[in-house]
Amino acid sequence: MNRLFSPILTGLVLLITAYPFAWMFLSSFKTNREIYQPGKMLPESFDPFAYKLLFSGELFDFTAVLVRSLLLAGGQAIFACLVTAATGFALAKGRFRGKSLLFWAALLIILYPKQAMSLALFEWMARLEITGNLYGLMLSGVASGLGVIFFTQVFRKVPDELIDLAKVEGQSPFFCFFTLLPLIFPALCTYGILHFFLCWQEHLLPLLTLGTDQLTLPLALAKLGDSSYHTPEAVGLAAGVLAMIPLFLLFGYFFRRVRTALADWVVS
Amino acid sequence: MQESQQFSGSLPGTGYTHSPFSNFERAVKDPKFIHSLENTSLFVGGSILITLGLSFFLAISVYELNKKFQGICLFLLLIPSFALPGSLATLFYLFFHGKFGALNQFLVIPLGFDPINWMMDPSWILPCLVLQAVWRWTGVITLVLYCGIRAIPHWQFEVARIEGASAWTKVRTILFPGTRHLLLFSGIFLLVDGVAAFSGAYNLLGGSGGVLDAGLLFVTYAYQVAFPGGSGRFDLPLASAACVLVAGTTACFAWLLLRVRKRMGN
Repeated sequence: MNRLFSPILTGLVLLITAYPFAWMFLSSFKTNREIYQPGKMLPESFDPFAYKLLFSGELFDFTAVLVRSLLLAGGQAIFACLVTAATGFALAKGRFRGKSLLFWAALLIILYPKQAMSLALFEWMARLEITGNLYGLMLSGVASGLGVIFFTQVFRKVPDELIDLAKVEGQSPFFCFFTLLPLIFPALCTYGILHFFLCWQEHLLPLLTLGTDQLTLPLALAKLGDSSYHTPEAVGLAAGVLAMIPLFLLFGYFFRRVRTALADWVVS
Repeated sequence: MQESQQFSGSLPGTGYTHSPFSNFERAVKDPKFIHSLENTSLFVGGSILITLGLSFFLAISVYELNKKFQGICLFLLLIPSFALPGSLATLFYLFFHGKFGALNQFLVIPLGFDPINWMMDPSWILPCLVLQAVWRWTGVITLVLYCGIRAIPHWQFEVARIEGASAWTKVRTILFPGTRHLLLFSGIFLLVDGVAAFSGAYNLLGGSGGVLDAGLLFVTYAYQVAFPGGSGRFDLPLASAACVLVAGTTACFAWLLLRVRKRMGN
């Protein structure tokens, strides 16, 4: 393409993606009056009053919200990795009836919008009496179609000889699976991050199942945006900034690995 | 069908005596349902077209940049997807929206139009939501497409160079066919995500459909019907019937697309 076109387009889009977030960070130090002038970039003074207000617990216990969200997303990501990796292992290496049917079912789960399943999930959880419970919510997202498909493809690349070897040694399939886990560590990391990412942003299901005293981050943000609270706008922005930090760190640290895994996956 | 019966059976007070399909009938006859479907299709269609087009050219642009900058560019492009949809909505509201907001200040007024009241004008709420979705997903799709372009064998570009092919020919004969399957995959991803879009609209419009319900998306509708807080109807059977209809159609559509892809021999 044209020599000038690429840098200009990239620069323009970068401006649109990055600039508002720089503004958001700086605005978390501003007063309402300053925020309502979006052309302004720097705050008059770097006064972290919004962060202080958040952590003072006057509105709600924000520290608890952060911990709850981290626990939910982290726990669900780890569980989902284990469960879907085991399923992928079975689908890729096991021999049993209805295997392709299960694979298609997993594909169907991806294609079926998750929010539309929320009602059915809510009903199930009410029946099992695990609504209003963080661990119940954690459980509800563990069986992910995306994970099953991803790990099936990953395990298909693992040579059969390793599994034959384990069989000759008289090991159970379970043992075999656990010994193979270090081999697929990059894939586990990538999927774990992705799941964390998706769970971190989940809004509807926590809204339905958790009580008002058990907010997660998306719910807390919505609450701060609610006009009935009369909080300064900076508080909402500060919460938004804090909510971005874990994803930022995770992606920043694993970015190269995720890119490699993605590139591998694109080829297959 | 089974699901809707299960709901009516399990919630006392909503147990109608009806034929198995009556919930579906009620859903289809609800003008709000139809309206929400129209909005959702416009939203999904618009965001898919814009996001895919933009990401495609953006991925090529990043690919042609100096190697040193590619990683950092991709990372910066991903920033909006790190943010919670809720804070995207807040940011949108505070930064882009409003008479002095960035959209009016840098785009609408310089082009010589009157400033647009994005959230209060019924004809602009939906474009607003589309812009938000585009803003959020462009980085992710660009990353995927970029990986796809990297995977195209290098000799194809060499041949194009030797033949002196124009930029447009390169796009048409190498880049587009090389990333076609990823474009399709991204399209399906955006389709499924778009149908399920909830959080952004919920934050921007406070769980309502906005002025004249112009921004009423399908999931917001289902939420309003099923849970008090919207209209307080607590009509779980109707909501589930609507969900089964929409999600089923979406899944079938996406599956068909995948079949078409197999036919194409990719």
